[in-house]
Amino acid sequence: MKIWQKLLLTATLATIILIAGTLIYFLYFAKRRLIISTTTSLYDTGLLDTLEKDYETKHPDVDVNIISAGTGIAIQHAKNGDADLILIHSPSMEKAFLEEGYGVNRKIVAYNFFTIVGPSNDPAGITGKNATEALKRIVAYGESLADQSGQTKVWVSRGDNSGTHSKEQALWKAAGYNYTLISAEPWYASTGSGIGDTLNVANQKAAYTLADIGTYLKFYVDGIISLQALITEEPSLLNVYSAIAVKPTVPANQSLHEQINFKDAMDFIQYLVSDETQQFITNYGKADYGQSLFYGAVQPLRSNTPELIVSWIKSAAFFNGSECPPQYRNGY
Amino acid sequence: MSALVELNSVTKIYGNKKAVDNVNLQVQEGEILALLGPNGSGKTTLLKILALLEAPTEGTIKFQGELVTEKNAEKMRTQSTLVFQRTLLFDTTVYNNVAYGLKIRKMPRNMIDAEVKKALQLVKLDGFEKRHAKKLSGGEQQRVAIARALVLKTKLLLLDEPTANLDPKNASIIEDAISTLNREYKTTIVMATHNMFQAKSLPQRVALMNEGQITETGAPAEIFGKLSKNLVRFAVLDNTFAGTAEATSAGTIIVDIGNGVQVEVTEQRQGKVSIFVNPQDIILSKHAVESSARNVLKGRVTEIKDLGSIVKLKVDVGKPFTVQVTKRSFNEMELNLGSEVYIAFKASSVQVL
Amino acid sequence: MVDILGGIAKALQLIVTGDPMLYGIVYRSILFSGAAIVLAALWGTPIAMLLSLKNFRGKTIIKGFFNSLIGIPTVVLGLVLFLIFSNGGPLGFLGLLYTPAAIILGEAILVTPVLISIMVNAIEAVDPDIFTLAKTLGASESQALLAVLKEALNGVLLSNLASFNRAIAELGVALLVGGNIAGLTDVLTTAISRYTARGELDFAIALGIILMVLVFLINMAVILARKAKWVITIWRTPQ
Repeated sequence: MKIWQKLLLTATLATIILIAGTLIYFLYFAKRRLIISTTTSLYDTGLLDTLEKDYETKHPDVDVNIISAGTGIAIQHAKNGDADLILIHSPSMEKAFLEEGYGVNRKIVAYNFFTIVGPSNDPAGITGKNATEALKRIVAYGESLADQSGQTKVWVSRGDNSGTHSKEQALWKAAGYNYTLISAEPWYASTGSGIGDTLNVANQKAAYTLADIGTYLKFYVDGIISLQALITEEPSLLNVYSAIAVKPTVPANQSLHEQINFKDAMDFIQYLVSDETQQFITNYGKADYGQSLFYGAVQPLRSNTPELIVSWIKSAAFFNGSECPPQYRNGY
Repeated sequence: MSALVELNSVTKIYGNKKAVDNVNLQVQEGEILALLGPNGSGKTTLLKILALLEAPTEGTIKFQGELVTEKNAEKMRTQSTLVFQRTLLFDTTVYNNVAYGLKIRKMPRNMIDAEVKKALQLVKLDGFEKRHAKKLSGGEQQRVAIARALVLKTKLLLLDEPTANLDPKNASIIEDAISTLNREYKTTIVMATHNMFQAKSLPQRVALMNEGQITETGAPAEIFGKLSKNLVRFAVLDNTFAGTAEATSAGTIIVDIGNGVQVEVTEQRQGKVSIFVNPQDIILSKHAVESSARNVLKGRVTEIKDLGSIVKLKVDVGKPFTVQVTKRSFNEMELNLGSEVYIAFKASSVQVL
Repeated sequence: MVDILGGIAKALQLIVTGDPMLYGIVYRSILFSGAAIVLAALWGTPIAMLLSLKNFRGKTIIKGFFNSLIGIPTVVLGLVLFLIFSNGGPLGFLGLLYTPAAIILGEAILVTPVLISIMVNAIEAVDPDIFTLAKTLGASESQALLAVLKEALNGVLLSNLASFNRAIAELGVALLVGGNIAGLTDVLTTAISRYTARGELDFAIALGIILMVLVFLINMAVILARKAKWVITIWRTPQ
């Protein structure tokens, strides 16, 4: 046999051993994998890391694997059968996901608010206003500027089609603006990158921007930025996180091994909505940032307090008056 | 004596060119056979076939009486080795170069060390083991290549113009090594050459090659004796010319080799003869100098070949003569292509074949 | 603004104190890239040998194909492999997505064109008669090919080194098929992007320093190894 035939044979064998070894390892030797696909805003606060460790301590036979990409890709993962559980924050997409028959047992696990942040002297005067009014004032302030050359910026956007960016677009629409026109204004800047960069740019330009509370607080407390959170808790800025288990019968699931770990996904959801975990979510970050990054949603929904916020959650994230209509409950 | 290798009607075709044309040849065990012929006459191809590196297009090869096939060629190939005309070394130490074939043959390390040492002594490179092979001079490199082949003590040693591009000192070291090997180990040697001088002194048998065919084989004296007639075809050989001899009153002969070139020779022969002048016996000068040399011819430099310590020149005096000078005198004489020069050699340096 | 000096100081502290999470990431980076190179070398070397030593039709086209693949964006390859390895994809049944094997395979595929192209150039630069020379000295076909490879050693080492650098410094494939799962498939590049996004810059800086040092050290090691090999060759030669 010639040497390249030998080498090619060795290469093929090595490849097969690698693949078969992986298959066999995860099938018979590894702990059960629970793959959770989630959004960056939830993962990057570190909350899920802590929950993962706690859950794995309580369930030593389960290995929780968290993939953080974004709401859109998390749903795609679930549809492909690449995730067992998704943790996302887009009620309209969640509704479609359930209706298409990919998920079951949706639970609203937490909520928080986006925040409109700006320089502490608040030149547009938005403090105390609602989001719609605030955006109108920001536009008025931008148009009143003497400098319309594009050097002075009043609003900085992520412009990256992220969850935060789509929230921003929805807010402009709600305030009666055409987003395409607004984003072309000389005082409107687009970074096309993550919230960290966007906050830094807004800080340098003394401009306003929309941020998730978690990242904002981290940057603010660490002294990286001096922008203030000017508008916080109001219905249009509400951000609701839900967990959905992927149906073990998704069309893609046809394989050598059990691909959807449904049992552990259901168990993890139970874990998320337990009193202990809910309390932990609400307290997470308080010591570091002086306020909660997330609030557990289970207790408020159960006891209907605080009534105002519960009504906001219900109008934003309930489908047909329920967090998970009966046909999607799978007996739970 | 029995035949070590036997070629039967061997033909090798590259594309549409017949490099070797219906060759029948027996190489006897223990002999030195010279393949003599001009460049492009098929010597190298024939050697590669003998080395079992190239399979013939037609015909068969027998090695020690056994027919060579595609299957056993790889094993049989270890019984012979070929030294290329162009010096080719592995990019490593002299030791690793010479030891290569022995390592392949899985010889124990201490034996390899001893064999390499002996082989290097034979080519007068004692203690060169740790030197980087490619950093040696041209002559030393070719000696490493020779040592690398003869260390294997194969039954058959094939040499392709082993000294063609070497100065006399390196050439004679290699020639000595070759004859020592043949004498002491009865190694069968086939060497290609277009150096008449080498073909006359080293081998026991000469095979003449021309246009892919072997036209004549025999002992050197026999071959060169009747070569005169054939030799016109061998005009491409260095400093070998055919002409007509006439006696002079001084007891010498004058050979007219054409184009108005006449050469004085101290031998007594008449009629058609072939003559050969060893390049080393020719003196080169920029002006006609008075000396004892009977032959002084004027010509122009038509070719310059730098061989490291020596320079090989072609001088056209009506007929092309090959001349060797040291690099130093070459530089001192400030020679260029087209330079006008004189060549001089004694009547007694001319050999009649 | 970001406190760069403070970040570096904290990063150095993490490196010096041997933070287990940090070194877990470093270990996985080296392991995955190393395994990818072994795999790529195993299947790339014979292909490079065929492309450089054999003559056949379509050879130029294949060489051009590998050459043009050198610059393939890692995210594009990552995306393609993600779609293939996904449970809904053609190879989904193997369950490779989000496993170390997926990263190793992906990076091996990524660096194969680099490896092949550099190796082909190196082997083609070797005198073609070396093959015949080795054969006439008694080498079998395979041993003669090895002799050619040995002559091209510099280029062969370079091809492996360049491949390792590409593998360890790439982000797209590891992120898309590995999923950046903490403790399982996160490597230097994916972890840097994660910790930067999280604002944990000291950790990101520490990983960045290690990645740079690693690339530098491996380059140095190969240069030194070549020198050392030469010294050993001479030292082991008897006088």
